[in-house]
Amino acid sequence: MKAVSIRLENVSKTFIHRIKGKVSAVDQVSLQVEPGEFLTLLGPSGCGKTTTLRMIAGFERPDRGRVFIGDEDVTDLMANQRNIGFVFQNYALFPHLSVFENVAYGLRVKGMQRAEIEKAVNDVLALVGLKGYEHQFPHQLSGGEQQRVALARAVVIQPRVLLFDEPLSNLDAKLRVYMRSEIRRLQKTLSITTVYVTHDQEEAMAVSDHIAVMNVGKITQIGTAEELYTEPETTFVAQFIGKINILPAEVREVTDLQVTVSIFNRDFRISKSAVPLALGQNIKIFIRPESIELTKGIKEGQLKGLIVEKTFLGEKADYQVEVDGHSLNATSYDPFLHETFALNQEVGIILNEQAIQILKE
Amino acid sequence: MPASTVKLNPSDRFQKLLKDPVLLFCVILLWCFLFLFILLPLAQLFIKTFEEGGHFSFKNVISTLGDPNQRQALWNSLILGSLVGLCGTVLGFLFAFTAVRANLSKAWALFLDAAIILPLISPPFTTAIAMIFSFGPRGLITYDLLGIKGFTIYGLHSTLFSETITFFPIAYLTLKAIIAGIDPNVEDMAFSLGSSRWRVFRTVTLPLTVPGLANSFLLLFAASLADFATPLILAGNSFPVLPTQAYLQITGLFDLKGGAVLSFVLLAPAFLVFVLQRYWVSRKYYVTITGKAGAKTQIKSVPFWARYLLLGLCLFISAFILYFYVLLFYASIVRAFGANFQLTWIHYRVIFTEGLKAIRDTLVIAGVGMPIGGIYAVTLGYLVSKKTFPSRQAMEIVSMINYSLPGTIVGIAYLLFFNDPPIMLTGTAIIIIACYVFRYGPTGIRTTVAILQQIDPSIEEASFSLGAGSGTTFRRITMPLILPAFFAGLGVVFIRSMTAISATIFLISINWTLITVRILEKMTELELGVAAAFSILVVVIVFIVITAISLFLRLFRQPGAPEMANILGG
Repeated sequence: MKAVSIRLENVSKTFIHRIKGKVSAVDQVSLQVEPGEFLTLLGPSGCGKTTTLRMIAGFERPDRGRVFIGDEDVTDLMANQRNIGFVFQNYALFPHLSVFENVAYGLRVKGMQRAEIEKAVNDVLALVGLKGYEHQFPHQLSGGEQQRVALARAVVIQPRVLLFDEPLSNLDAKLRVYMRSEIRRLQKTLSITTVYVTHDQEEAMAVSDHIAVMNVGKITQIGTAEELYTEPETTFVAQFIGKINILPAEVREVTDLQVTVSIFNRDFRISKSAVPLALGQNIKIFIRPESIELTKGIKEGQLKGLIVEKTFLGEKADYQVEVDGHSLNATSYDPFLHETFALNQEVGIILNEQAIQILKE
Repeated sequence: MPASTVKLNPSDRFQKLLKDPVLLFCVILLWCFLFLFILLPLAQLFIKTFEEGGHFSFKNVISTLGDPNQRQALWNSLILGSLVGLCGTVLGFLFAFTAVRANLSKAWALFLDAAIILPLISPPFTTAIAMIFSFGPRGLITYDLLGIKGFTIYGLHSTLFSETITFFPIAYLTLKAIIAGIDPNVEDMAFSLGSSRWRVFRTVTLPLTVPGLANSFLLLFAASLADFATPLILAGNSFPVLPTQAYLQITGLFDLKGGAVLSFVLLAPAFLVFVLQRYWVSRKYYVTITGKAGAKTQIKSVPFWARYLLLGLCLFISAFILYFYVLLFYASIVRAFGANFQLTWIHYRVIFTEGLKAIRDTLVIAGVGMPIGGIYAVTLGYLVSKKTFPSRQAMEIVSMINYSLPGTIVGIAYLLFFNDPPIMLTGTAIIIIACYVFRYGPTGIRTTVAILQQIDPSIEEASFSLGAGSGTTFRRITMPLILPAFFAGLGVVFIRSMTAISATIFLISINWTLITVRILEKMTELELGVAAAFSILVVVIVFIVITAISLFLRLFRQPGAPEMANILGG
């Protein structure tokens, strides 16, 4: 089956909450998912990502705006008329049906022949690695196995699009990492257009072609994981994806390509951004912890600070350093090779110029 | 955002109802039934109580309460109810705590459960008859064993004892669920803070069960208040209570109005209990389940010696209950208990010849009422918990009224309402069946609601996303999941049709009679052997039906499906 696109045009949805009254869950969201693409809606809880997904699925009807799957306007279609595969956070397996019957459910609804159903179900169970589990019941399965049944049940009907609502949040950390690569593998094998909802930025970065970061009912930025990490357009995105240090700076010099800014009374030449800057303007810059290097020896005039907290994490060590009344987070990778530092030790600090970026708001 | 936080405004709901003809039809039909079989009879009772010469008046109530005998009956009812509530709760707690916290082996736990379920499935006079056989003037224990002559069995003491034995299983089932719900990790936590076992029990376990204890007290108080059978046999002339007074007023003095007023007086405490239970106790429950269930821990609530003490106490009481039933059986196979111990089948021959009509009538009524009750329970339960329509909440509350009221009130209300045109049902089987369906159907309703609350909305959404419409989803997903509630509804209506008497004693006729009523007649005619044989027959039939339903329940076992025993207790 040919992969199709998904398109949202100015979709809005408000709910009436018992305590808070009218709540705008999704506010004029427009979005295009290309055929075969894996797009993740990422954001904190309550940002509207699940509501957006449920509107694509047809469980919620948008108050305004249209939803398209392929070229078809599906806004007024019910969920059962849209031909979608949905994987729920709690899996929503039918507790009274066996694994086989759970997976076969959608095919039986379609009125498929018995032999065809058997073949399709067996094929998909093999695909998700559940051969031999046909006669088990959901309560006899582990969380990871239930997850696979939910996955098999969603894909066996050959849906036009696959929709995931935080599918891994009930699994333990190791299994989560394993299952997310399984999901990605399956999606690539079947090349189904996929929308995936999560609040876990690492998960989003691991599985997606593109990530749409959402906040208070709006999409803040869409891009690849790399784009979002290296060129965040808002403070929210910068803070939500990875960790950052935000520092005050003053504009000293502006040339065609570069800007010189003063941080902690030291000049740094950084790449110019789209934001118009005036000489002497007070701005905010950010730098990620891994772009800050700590040194034992302190050269004359070098920026220096005091280690106030140290967290050893195996492959890396996180430090909190006090500099001129500011607190900086620095990460040092491969602590075996590199220098390690003790609490209350005075260290030299090197800010990687290329990694310093100007915050746009 | 979870769907439960979404609210439609009333006009939207009304619009929606008009667009869904099936829903509209069901809602209107159910309301017709609820008016006919719950609200209108009750209204009739009110009218009868407060009408004097075509005017509203308190005269009837005042004159009834002015009668020292009736005042005494009210007072006696309240005292008896409180004492049964107290004693039954203590006994229930002892059993529940032992069953859940004393690390019993499976066999012991099963034995306790079995002994406790017997009073729940027995016809109402069973304990009373066994009491007379044991403690009566020629009783096995008082006369034969202890040699006491002229022991008076009639009065508060024996009524209290008999009702406590009959009703404490309700307390047991209520409290067992609560104690089992207390995470042993919470107790472990208290141990880890240095508490002794006794201190943990006193400061953690017991306070967490307080709402359960209050609830159990109220349930038992209500059960005793409504109980008509035990006082009729055991209370005697010296200790009149309201339900029996109302019965005697109507059947003995043919004073319908007096009976109505007396049952209305009974309504006040019953209503108070209902309100307390629904709006006070239910809010006091502590939720000890937070997030993920903790690791399973070895229960260490009781020391070694206490475990045997608790088990010993429970076994003694269980043995006593079993003794009652053995005695009952023995009395049914000897010629005349207390005088002639010659073995005979004559009592059984009597019930299968002379008593055959009562058996047939009871089985027909129970058999017809059973499916109707099941369908009524599942339909109403489904509508009030899954659909939004105007009057939804009112429907749920009204459906619970007949269940919460003492049977005497319901019986007298039906008698008053259906005795005259426009709807004359007196003397038919319909009136008895309707009484059972609307009085015992609510157990099935509550089970349906409980099961539906546990079914996550996403399960139905999953079915939609796989292409199924709402019809298919209901048939293939929702219906199988609420099947246990349907069976529960069936079971309770059947069992109560076999064992209840308080409401239907006012509704029987020459055309339709019931086993329980025949038992009462045989007791008053002092044909105790026949009464015992009838009781044994009922216990056997009910036991067979319960076993069958339990098997069905196990077959369709769903997460959250209730055990048969729990349904009986509710």
